[in-house]
Amino acid sequence: MWIARRSVLKGLAAGGTVTLIGPGAWAQAAGPAEAGQIDIAKAKAEGKLVLYTSLDTQIVDAINAEFTKRYGIEVQYFRGGSSDVTSKVLAEADAGRPQADMVDASDLAALLLMKERGLLKPFKSPAMDAVAKELRDPDGTWITDRLTQAVIQFNTKEFGSTPPSTWADLGKAAGRLVYFSSPYGDGAPRLYTLAKHLGWDLLKVLAATKPLRVQTPQVMAQVLERGERGAGFLQNDNIAWRSKLQGKPTDYVFPAVGVPTEIGACGLLKSSTRPHAAALYYEWWMGAEGQAILVKGGKYSSRTDVAPPEGSTPLSKLKLLTLDYAEYGKNKVKILDQMASTFGGEWGN
Amino acid sequence: MPAIASANLPADARRAPSARRFGLQGVVLGLAVALLLFLVGYPLLWLFLGALGVPQSFGLEHVQRAFTRPQNYAALVNTLQLALGTGIMSIFIGVPLAWATARTDMPLRQVVHALVALSYIMPPYLTALAYIFLLGPDAGHFNRLLQGAFGFESGPLNIFSMPGVIFVIGIHVFAFTYFLTHSALKSVDASLEESAQMLGARRWQTALRINLPLVAPAVTGGALLAAIDSLALFGPQAIIGTPAQITFLPTRIYATIGSYPPRWAEASALSLLLVVLTVAGLAVQRGYLERRSYVTVGGRGVRTQIIDLGAWRWPLLAFCLIVVFFSAVAPIGVLTLNAFSKSWTDPLSLSNLTLTHFNAALFQDQVAVRGILNSLKLATAAATIAVVIGAAVAYLDLRTNVRGRRILDYLAILPLGLPGTVMAVGILLAFIRLPIPIYGTLWILLAAYVARFIPLATRSANATFRQIDPSLEEAGRITGASWLHAIRRILMPLSRPGLLVAFLLVFIPAFGELSATILLYTGGTETIAIAIYRLNDLGQLEVVSALAVFTIVVVLTLAALVNWLSGSSWTSVETPAVRG
Repeated sequence: MWIARRSVLKGLAAGGTVTLIGPGAWAQAAGPAEAGQIDIAKAKAEGKLVLYTSLDTQIVDAINAEFTKRYGIEVQYFRGGSSDVTSKVLAEADAGRPQADMVDASDLAALLLMKERGLLKPFKSPAMDAVAKELRDPDGTWITDRLTQAVIQFNTKEFGSTPPSTWADLGKAAGRLVYFSSPYGDGAPRLYTLAKHLGWDLLKVLAATKPLRVQTPQVMAQVLERGERGAGFLQNDNIAWRSKLQGKPTDYVFPAVGVPTEIGACGLLKSSTRPHAAALYYEWWMGAEGQAILVKGGKYSSRTDVAPPEGSTPLSKLKLLTLDYAEYGKNKVKILDQMASTFGGEWGN
Repeated sequence: MPAIASANLPADARRAPSARRFGLQGVVLGLAVALLLFLVGYPLLWLFLGALGVPQSFGLEHVQRAFTRPQNYAALVNTLQLALGTGIMSIFIGVPLAWATARTDMPLRQVVHALVALSYIMPPYLTALAYIFLLGPDAGHFNRLLQGAFGFESGPLNIFSMPGVIFVIGIHVFAFTYFLTHSALKSVDASLEESAQMLGARRWQTALRINLPLVAPAVTGGALLAAIDSLALFGPQAIIGTPAQITFLPTRIYATIGSYPPRWAEASALSLLLVVLTVAGLAVQRGYLERRSYVTVGGRGVRTQIIDLGAWRWPLLAFCLIVVFFSAVAPIGVLTLNAFSKSWTDPLSLSNLTLTHFNAALFQDQVAVRGILNSLKLATAAATIAVVIGAAVAYLDLRTNVRGRRILDYLAILPLGLPGTVMAVGILLAFIRLPIPIYGTLWILLAAYVARFIPLATRSANATFRQIDPSLEEAGRITGASWLHAIRRILMPLSRPGLLVAFLLVFIPAFGELSATILLYTGGTETIAIAIYRLNDLGQLEVVSALAVFTIVVVLTLAALVNWLSGSSWTSVETPAVRG
């Protein structure tokens, strides 16, 4: 009999070890509500923070390296397309197991959805003064950190003498075009912007050239550098800028007829268990120093007091085509359906 | 009365063991059974519920919508095309090779056999990656060779196409047809062939009119298994199919969950469709094989005749070498080459060699390093747990007469027929709502791996225990040993090599698992496969190659260990692992 009781206890112990009571899920500290309330000592005690971002890893690594050097706090990040990042944040919130402390995505519709679900934490940062009103949330739950313009990048060996100057020009380069979108439709917002302002027929013309579709802007640049394709439409300006800077045989143009601009925004998560470290990092990310590192990587900062990347046209001189993200979020499935029928393939719709 | 599996005792001599004796035994076995039901049965239940819209709603409209959308219909058609293509391809490649290695005097038979096994052990997504380097439309090595030789402007062969997907998956799954046909051919009694030859049939006539019909069930069975496995291989479908704008059911399921907001009901409905296809295929395969097996059961009385090919052995050898070159040698070769090259598109030269990618893959890149550690941890833990559960189920099956142990056995084998994607969706649905918060941690991955690979451990443990005569344990019990003592001192030492093989048979696929992991991982719980997949998306192909080489080295070493421990060739493994 004594064996039976002990063995039952053993069985319970065995079953009990499977149960993980994550201390994080239950111990939600209140954390600072504005920059002045950040306690650096507490932040250092928290030791690390987790960032979900869709920003290029080279830039993120540079920002993190400086931050860790300054404060000694480790930054662990997950990098995916903006849909990846969003779906993970939403799924984790659903499951009651949030991992991230701060989220950054190049799709404002995603952050609006997170705000709607009550996942973002209001935070008053001095950076709000340097960012235009329409590029931030008045409650402080999200703020634009970067503006990405979608350019035409081309291989100079193929198009160097006659560079394409407008989107419609690309329609003549049958079989030589490339563009990007992840299987979740991360490339759709800028395509939709183009269609909205310049007409869906433009997209049909581009699709008729049978463009190669790759997963990310980074791969698109590689395809163009190798000369596998001659020109790419709607490439990230910072990736095209970096290629050119590195001496690769590529160049890029901002078409005068209009350049779709994409808003990348970030926010702190309410469920964060490391609020001081997260807020400190947020301040670093949005502060003049962090944004300067962003600009060194070729991105345009949202801060009006930060210069554009070296050798780049200032935004005021470009004709920017904007997207109503609230409208995009509402009609997303329909828009993705249209993309699928125009270009074919998987759009996550 | 000790609990003895009594095949020999008459029915009335078997008595239910007393409750007291069953104490520890019952708890251990009961725990294992509970885990099995929890990890396999519970997610499957949720799959059904999820398709009906639970918990948000309840009804068939999700299922209806899922099946009437054109994207899903296209994915279904593509998936069926893929299955058909790989099945046929596996016959054309697998049967000649099996015949060559099993029945002829072709030289290098052992080498060909080993290389076919190698092409199977290699994770299929690594083969897919390798073929991007080999048959990428412009920069692929083979295409460059063809361009140089024949003056094509751009690579004549494009891996990013439906034939490309069929090819890449086909050279992985043809191993099913090969091994089944090989075993069947080795079991054909020579007297049948000798009769034909005595009556004047030539060698090729004997092969075509005697051997082939006799092994036809094995051939079709193998082709069916190959087709079923190809349905589930998310890795190649995503790596080659997605850039080619071709969707398949697993990639559609991935898209419905990965885009925001996640569409659970549609994912569940598509998963159930995939299950139906898989189960239907398996049912046909089992029914076909079992009812129409003409092969005389292999055993002591069978002599197999080696056919003397004469001059024909050289063309046959050439064919076999070409097949294994494309299926094993070329992929591993190009991945190794890339891992050491500064840039994979530059021509080969000594100045292009570097170790920086290995440095990045193994030590520097955050995601890669995390991936390696997580994979090692998960594979070890999953293999251990799976072996414990598998051993418990096998023990229940062979050494006790507990009622319902057959059902338990079927439940343990069931995951073999389920694609990794489907298991992951079930586990997501089941555990995202559980009060135990394992989503987003390594534990949910562990649950998925154990659930997926329990069949391997169970079959292996079953085969191991079957070879140990129960009378040895009975002798121990009769002379006074307790149940635990008999297990520890008699059964365990005898079965240790077999259980170690079971451990490794689970470790190897768990180490490189992709199709379930891709749905369940989050920041921090990446595995090697995820690191490879993500880095490939970002175009860091050299680091990807370095990681791939590392994975292959680990997998190869362990496979060689399995081979050495089990003391025989791979044909002794009953059913090859289902991978993806």
